[in-house]
Amino acid sequence: MGVRFPSPAWKIERQTMETFGQETDKVFCRLLENADVFALYLDVRGRIILFNKKIENIVSEKRENILGKNWLNVLFHDNNEVIKQQMFKAVIDDSITYKRPNNFEGLIIDRNNIQHLIFWNISPILNASGALDGILLIGNDTTALKEREESFKKIDGTLKNIFSSIKEYALYVTNLDGNITYYGMGSEIMFGWQKSDIIFKHVSMLHLQEDVRFKLPLILEQVNRSGQYEMEIDLLKSNGQPFPVILNVSQFLDAEGKPIGYIFIAKDITERKKLEYQIFQAEKLAAIGQLAAGMGHEINNPLFVISGRVEMLFERKKLERKLREDLEVISTQAERIRKLVDRMLKFSRSVPPKLESININDVIDSVLPLLSYHKLHTSKIDIKKDLVKKIPPIKGDLNQLQEVFLNLFINAYQSMPEGGRLTIKTDNFQNLYAQIWISDTGCGIPQQNLKNMFMPFFSTKKDGTGLGLSICYNIIKNHNGSIEVESQVNKGTTFRIKLPFA
Amino acid sequence: MSYNVLVVDDEPVVGELFTDLLKKEDCAVQSVLSGEEALDIIKKENFDIVLLDIKLPDINGLEVLKKMKEAKPNLIVIMITGFGYDEDLIAKSWDYGCSGYIGKNMPIAQIMSNFRLFVKAAKEKKE
Repeated sequence: MGVRFPSPAWKIERQTMETFGQETDKVFCRLLENADVFALYLDVRGRIILFNKKIENIVSEKRENILGKNWLNVLFHDNNEVIKQQMFKAVIDDSITYKRPNNFEGLIIDRNNIQHLIFWNISPILNASGALDGILLIGNDTTALKEREESFKKIDGTLKNIFSSIKEYALYVTNLDGNITYYGMGSEIMFGWQKSDIIFKHVSMLHLQEDVRFKLPLILEQVNRSGQYEMEIDLLKSNGQPFPVILNVSQFLDAEGKPIGYIFIAKDITERKKLEYQIFQAEKLAAIGQLAAGMGHEINNPLFVISGRVEMLFERKKLERKLREDLEVISTQAERIRKLVDRMLKFSRSVPPKLESININDVIDSVLPLLSYHKLHTSKIDIKKDLVKKIPPIKGDLNQLQEVFLNLFINAYQSMPEGGRLTIKTDNFQNLYAQIWISDTGCGIPQQNLKNMFMPFFSTKKDGTGLGLSICYNIIKNHNGSIEVESQVNKGTTFRIKLPFA
Repeated sequence: MSYNVLVVDDEPVVGELFTDLLKKEDCAVQSVLSGEEALDIIKKENFDIVLLDIKLPDINGLEVLKKMKEAKPNLIVIMITGFGYDEDLIAKSWDYGCSGYIGKNMPIAQIMSNFRLFVKAAKEKKE
């Protein structure tokens, strides 16, 4: 089958061609006829005067009906795509009017009702005198290509979803100068900076000041040398708070393998660190407990004898004044040791609490009157109770919990020698556990002391044994609860206790 | 309060201190250093009260208590603990029939007043 050229214009054109040209033309026409493209030639009024096999295969019109028909009616046999049709027409009209080539991508429905996306190349064909002879349309079926592109887009979208679902990682990219060029995937959540705050700024704003001078350049140097580097480091949130991460930095390479920047992946390990610290703490406490039990026993015997003998000496009627004073010193100091050992043994006892259903508010109410026995300056301190009215009972040992609260209240009092406010608040957390906050407006605890707060023998008080809080810690732990502390120097301290409901 | 008291503690200084403290309460006091000696002497002599250290080098204090109560059911035995907080041992002592316990970790005044309280309670129980 040859190319049909029924158009007089075509014939005229062909007649003017030389033999060589005619032969070439024939070859060309045969190639076009069989090529895997849609080929269509329109006259200046948009009527089809030439078409190839692919066109014939796609349209529902019979071959003899195609010729001379307006291309629009042939290619679009239904009127569903009116807008697309009009757009296509506008493009072709443009090529006719201004004699310039154009491109257009549009859907065509074939006679089997299958959609084809076709990318059209529209070329105005001019005759020897420069007038428009017709319009050549060459169309490529890009349906498969488009489908692949779509599936890529889908994968891309899925990847984006995956990335944005991972919350504990932050991914950001810098150029070689360290300026942030991409700030995605969890970064906003992790650092608290919005993308607009940070994009094109230097990555050092995410690092601690002391790290910017030494650690960060070293890290990048290492990455330049070995391609990537991973370490534990503290980064900064937008509010200036440091937090621990595992930071992986890799070279960012372009298609030729040339480094163009750095890829940073940070994993927030705050929770893990907390847990590790708790485990470490618990192990240490257990070890100290064992030691204390053994030591306490050994100390009690000689101490008992010293105190006993001193007491007996006191009862002598004629005691020189100086001797009595010295005995008093011995007695006071022995009493100090006795109290220390007493607390140490209390701390080391591994007696599990006798858990009974008790109301946490009742426990707190029962402790407050006990404060008056502890020679505290109660007049200057304002106690604010904010106890939730209806709260399920917790599982607790009354005596042990009393000890915890007494300890915490006394600490709060002692931190406010100039007076202040002690706030005690309880709350029901989703019917899972009771939360108790004990806040003071006292001197606060410096950051570096906070993590040692529950360590036995850690005390900042002149006469403290450093066992009070470690006993509290043990008791709460034995109740399957938790105790945490937050503090700001000169603002106050808040203890938060969680105890599971019965 | 004039009782015949036996003090059982492996440390002589502890026994001596108890002896002196109890003498002040008008008690007649003897002291021994081991469980075996204690079990021996209560068979030979008459005691009203025994102060018995829970931790002894030869026989476990709990075992001594058990045997004493078997031999002399009316004997008032008060345990002495170095710990004061070894609830497990204390709970067992009650099971074996002790009349109370005093901890060496208590202030002396409290030790003596608790001693008197336990003796009084034991006497009342018998009557």
